[in-house]
Amino acid sequence: MDDPSALSEISHEQLVIMVARNKDKYAFRQLFDHYAPRIKSYLLNFQITDQKAEDLSQEVMITLWQKADKFDPDKAKISTWLFRVARNKYIDKVRKQKYPEVNADDHIASIVAPEKTDRTIQEKQDQGRIKMAMASLSDEQQKVIELSFFKELSHSQIAAETNMPLGTVKSRIRTAFQILRKELGDYK
Amino acid sequence: MKTHGIIPDEWIVSYASGALSEAHALVVATHCHFHPELQQKLDDAENIGAMFMVSNQPAQVSSRLFEEIITEIDSMSTTTELPSDQEGIPYPLAEYLNHKSLDQLKWRMMGPGLSQVRLWTGPNDECLWLLKAKGGAKIPSHDHKELEFTLVLQGSYHVGDEHYRPGLLEIADDNTKNHTPIIDPGEDCICLVVTEAPIKIHSFMGRLAQPFIGL
Repeated sequence: MDDPSALSEISHEQLVIMVARNKDKYAFRQLFDHYAPRIKSYLLNFQITDQKAEDLSQEVMITLWQKADKFDPDKAKISTWLFRVARNKYIDKVRKQKYPEVNADDHIASIVAPEKTDRTIQEKQDQGRIKMAMASLSDEQQKVIELSFFKELSHSQIAAETNMPLGTVKSRIRTAFQILRKELGDYK
Repeated sequence: MKTHGIIPDEWIVSYASGALSEAHALVVATHCHFHPELQQKLDDAENIGAMFMVSNQPAQVSSRLFEEIITEIDSMSTTTELPSDQEGIPYPLAEYLNHKSLDQLKWRMMGPGLSQVRLWTGPNDECLWLLKAKGGAKIPSHDHKELEFTLVLQGSYHVGDEHYRPGLLEIADDNTKNHTPIIDPGEDCICLVVTEAPIKIHSFMGRLAQPFIGL
């Protein structure tokens, strides 16, 4: 790539394809600049040190470099793939447990998620949509979803944290998820 | 709404958020492998997680980090892919078993027509098992103290009017009393099971044998 600045207009998914096909380090740099700070920020939710979060973010980005050729931009969102890798790296390296996946890496091709929108617009849309979707939940529903995704708490841990009966925690997560799926229905 | 043999959505959310133990994650992933509609739900839940992740206020990363990554990838050799599936075993379990066949595992007899492999032991008595029962076998009547997941991989069984075939999941908890699964006649029934506490067997003989069985 002769003009790295031209990459700023290309979607993340297309950048991944450039990494996969040409081992393009300029494209990889663009992905790194965007995702590494966000992956690290997500990992810092789990009460690990700054250095550990950075080490794990590094491993996630290396996995992206290694497995970029598995990615199908017409069917997958790279942010979801990276979220999954970051979650599993944390569980593997910090909790010292395995986190079995449903399918091999190429299962991202089974996700129907075409995305050709301009990157900046897409990013703002994503942030706006999740905020709007969360705003459609009650305070109690927001709480159980946040404790699930930001603290990785189990149902019984959420029950203990909130002093809610276990059955109530489960039904609130279930209802909240159904509402979020409906609100984000065309987000794929 | 509860659907027979299909995991409720709250477990899909917990899987996606990373809140499950190794044992529960394996059972949920293997269960989802059987059902495209559950995979779609899981994709949706993971999309939600990804939206939270990218909406985070970005953290400061070291100015050297990118160069360190480039140095590392320049020194990496090409890795060899493992086979993606073991015939007849759903991908998550095949991967977990390092692509061994079920026959290659060390099955331990638990009693007439019943054998097990303990795959993992976690904190607080949590255990992951493969259980195998002969067609027609009756599991001793028992109660549960904690949560138990049973995912059918092969064969089938029933509990009262409820029938469980490959891909269906039974969830038992401390409200489950006099649990008496009966294996359907025919092929062996093989299940992937997570227990959180030993079951409470009703019969005297069963209780005598329990320490040796391990369940």
